[in-house]
Amino acid sequence: MKRLAVTILAPIWQRWLVRRLPPSPEIILSHRSIFILPSGFGLVWLSLILLLYLFGTNYQNNLVIGLSILLLSLFNTCILYSYKNLAGLHLRAMTPPEAYAGETLTFPVLISTHHSSHSIQLNYPHNRTYTVQNVNADEQQALVPFEYHQRGNMSPGRLKIESFYPLGLCRAWSHVDLAISHLVFAKPMEAPLQLEADNVQSEQDPLLLAGKHVAGIDEFKGLKPYVLGESLKQVAWKQWAQGRGMLSKEFQQPQGEPVWLRLRPDAKRLETQLSQLSWQVNKLTQLEQYFGLHLPMLMGEDILIAPAIGNNHRIACQKALALYPQAPSAVHYPHESSDSNKTDKATSKKRHIPISREQA
Amino acid sequence: MKLLANSTTPQIGENIGRHTLFWLLITNIAVLSPLFDKTTPWTLGICAICLLWRIGIYVGKVAKPPRFLVTSLAIGAVTTLALVSKQIGLLNALVNLLLLGYALKYIEMRNQRDVRVVVLAGYFIIALTFIDHQSLLSTMHLLVVTLINTCVLVTLYQDKHSFKHTAWLGGKFLLQSVPLALLLFLVLPRFAPLWSVPNMKEAQTGLSDNLAIGDIGKLTRSTELAFRAGLSNATPTNAELYWRALVMENYDGVTWRQDAEIKKLQKEALQFPPSRPSPALMINNPTFISSKPQNAAQDNSHSIRYQVIAEPSHQPWLFGLDVAYSQDDNVANLPDYRLLALRNVDQRMSYQVESWPKAKMDLMLSAQQRQINLELPSNSNPRTWALAAQFKMQHPEPKPRLSAMMRHFNSEPFFYTLTPPPLGPQQVDDFLFENKAGFCVHYAAAFIFMARASGLPARMVTGYQGGEFNPQAGYYSVYQYMAHAWTEVWLEGEGWVRFDPTAMVAPERIEQGFDAQFDPEQSYLQASPFSSLRFKSMPWLNELRQRFASIDYYWSVWVLGFNQDKQKQVLSGILGKVTNTKIALFMGLCIGLIVLYIAYSAGLLHFNTQGDPISNRYQLVCNRLARHGIKRNDSDGPNQFSQQIIEQYQHSAPKLCALVQTMTQSYVALKYQALPAEDYQRHLSEFKMAVKQLNRYLFNAKVRAKLNLA
Repeated sequence: MKRLAVTILAPIWQRWLVRRLPPSPEIILSHRSIFILPSGFGLVWLSLILLLYLFGTNYQNNLVIGLSILLLSLFNTCILYSYKNLAGLHLRAMTPPEAYAGETLTFPVLISTHHSSHSIQLNYPHNRTYTVQNVNADEQQALVPFEYHQRGNMSPGRLKIESFYPLGLCRAWSHVDLAISHLVFAKPMEAPLQLEADNVQSEQDPLLLAGKHVAGIDEFKGLKPYVLGESLKQVAWKQWAQGRGMLSKEFQQPQGEPVWLRLRPDAKRLETQLSQLSWQVNKLTQLEQYFGLHLPMLMGEDILIAPAIGNNHRIACQKALALYPQAPSAVHYPHESSDSNKTDKATSKKRHIPISREQA
Repeated sequence: MKLLANSTTPQIGENIGRHTLFWLLITNIAVLSPLFDKTTPWTLGICAICLLWRIGIYVGKVAKPPRFLVTSLAIGAVTTLALVSKQIGLLNALVNLLLLGYALKYIEMRNQRDVRVVVLAGYFIIALTFIDHQSLLSTMHLLVVTLINTCVLVTLYQDKHSFKHTAWLGGKFLLQSVPLALLLFLVLPRFAPLWSVPNMKEAQTGLSDNLAIGDIGKLTRSTELAFRAGLSNATPTNAELYWRALVMENYDGVTWRQDAEIKKLQKEALQFPPSRPSPALMINNPTFISSKPQNAAQDNSHSIRYQVIAEPSHQPWLFGLDVAYSQDDNVANLPDYRLLALRNVDQRMSYQVESWPKAKMDLMLSAQQRQINLELPSNSNPRTWALAAQFKMQHPEPKPRLSAMMRHFNSEPFFYTLTPPPLGPQQVDDFLFENKAGFCVHYAAAFIFMARASGLPARMVTGYQGGEFNPQAGYYSVYQYMAHAWTEVWLEGEGWVRFDPTAMVAPERIEQGFDAQFDPEQSYLQASPFSSLRFKSMPWLNELRQRFASIDYYWSVWVLGFNQDKQKQVLSGILGKVTNTKIALFMGLCIGLIVLYIAYSAGLLHFNTQGDPISNRYQLVCNRLARHGIKRNDSDGPNQFSQQIIEQYQHSAPKLCALVQTMTQSYVALKYQALPAEDYQRHLSEFKMAVKQLNRYLFNAKVRAKLNLA
């Protein structure tokens, strides 16, 4: 029965919320968006008032009745103050930092108000609460946590802003959608580096001619004067110690050498494979190694990211991994979400992510 | 999106802050201290230990007590209380139980939820305290305690840890709640008690339902207030103020007692409230009227209405002038023409009485009643019997006989004293023939004895005689030392008639009050050296005393005694004829105003108070121009705007351009130049003039445009 009510009422409630509080990255709370109801303590408070009223009536004591009425009136005052505490609250979503599946995501929200508010609690459903003790005209950053275990594009849904100020009698709250959409990278899983030389598309791509030496990490090429901004790892410290000045070592690697990270899709192990690739992408970037990413698709064209180096390249690779469609059997996974289904459709078409090179 | 629905959401800030703990310390003392006289030593001890332990925790010297210790303490305390509950009375035991629970919860609390429980219990304890502490001063004291208790809640949601700030916030919330509370107090319905409740077991004070000669003497020494009566339409003299409380008909030679039948009625009063017809009916109804022709209407108009505020006596006796009738729900009208509270007067009680001084009590006397009121112990007081027989022989008619008996006290050397010599076993004989000294009870007892012995039904009445009039508030204060005993004799065709033999011995006592007869220092002030009644001798201090007394009286009448009648009275004073619609409208209006006021003081309403009047005026003109299609860009300054208008409308509306130019020049000068005072005034008047003319111009333009359209 309860479940039935939930299944019928929840969508109506959600639709009503969307109409009343449309998603926006910047929201100012007003009477349209603030709800107030007595808290549990408020209900106990009201029953105490009733008890005192009966007590005063039975003892024919006007002062006890007066006390109960004063407490009732205090409740009324608290309703106004709890409304005031949320009214005019200005919320602005910021770009969240990059995150991997399985980590606690934090969504930074800038919060401010033109007067002052106290004890504002922010949380996403079923997640821990972030409390801002004092809000004033200066924007403060609230880091609202969100547990998420899957890779892919996600939206945390409606943020609950809640306050029990001033006496805990009333719960004033609002559900705002800050229109946050975030890409969660696949959870990195340690694995041996598996670069493959076999370049299936060397003919198509003129940049990757076999035999040509390109800057790499494998072979020592020589020394060149150090340029400010180059990695200190490449500085030839031995020569520097000999007093020959700052020189940096130049490496090269021949084309045709293993530069490709490649996914060999195996429906049962797909998530693990992606996790391992994610780790390797990070590791290779950390090692400043040159690599490309090849993700074969079941339908449509494969995703190819030309070998490159640097952080932008890493992020491009991680994005491709995060958005890789889930294995067909994954339909049975309990945690499948509507959002990731959407991304599936989006990624099923061919996507060629342009090469990104880090500027020297 | 479904995500780990079972993930825990630990609440941040569930620990109790140090600031909260500090406020809890104050609250504990504030809440418990007014009730210290109700606590058993055990409770007091446990409360003190809990408080000390809490201070220890606060300072950081001791750890929280283990749970089993608290539990065992609680069980032990409850058991001891259950054992002594018979002795101290049920309500007292409950109060102690609550206090113990409060103290133990206080020491045991671990999170914010516990703090809330403690605060709620605190409110309840404050309410309990109100049962016994109802004066204006204690109410103010308890309001401060309420404030402190509320401040604990304030600290839970405040990070600003300053004592002053918290107290200020708590005070603000409470003060802003007061107007609505007053309104609701006025309007919310009052009910009669819904079920019977246990009472405090207290030493009874005031009159007792049995009277031995010498008893009232003890009472006569007390300066405590017995009751106050506000007479609205009469100012009786002191000699008319006989406040009837008890009637005693049984006499065993030593003690006077109430009749068993009346006692039974009193006992069952709560279940079966006794009733009798109103004296007004008795006067109007011909069956009650004696054969003598009487002007009923005249008698009826002679009723006195008054409100009595009885101080707690822990007894049910109430007070009224002859013949009293009360329509209050909690007052019973007994057949012996007395008023009785349905519950013991454990707290100040206010009731409305109407008295008909000319009404007659019991025109018919049943044979049984006649017999009760003629009964005398056999073989006692032979000399009095003989004296009574002598009176009967000399005066066969009852009335002259009674007058002769009264005169007897006057003609013989009787002496009125509060410290009479002791009496032997033949009390009345000893008094009448040996000592000839005593106070009201002696005289009344002797008179009744003689009357009964001569065959006239007579009975003892106790109550209070006199009253101190407070001219500022217009009420009589009756103190315990005004306690008095007198007699009633039943006469054919007249019913029970009051005879006060004391008046024959000490007429000043009756006519001018107790103080006229006795020096206060020698009598009632002897036992209470600090009574404010000492100030009677100093005029200005006495006036001050009376002023305070009248404040307390108004407090009792309008707050403590605020009942359905008063409610009706006040509401009809405000609304005229009270109807539900009117009340609803009145409530709606008041609540709306109050909410607006709170919202305003909470900073929710923003009136456009920013900017000075000059800028506002300029802005208004700009808005008006915009409505006519002349828009000012946000980036344009006033001068640029003016220039733009002049360029555009130079030819079509030269007057407009001139006005705008004048206005802008003055505006810029006023806003951006440091002007000497007279220049400023000149520019200001120019500016105002230009604005006015511009407004008129624009208005005319609008009208013209409308006319053209039409």
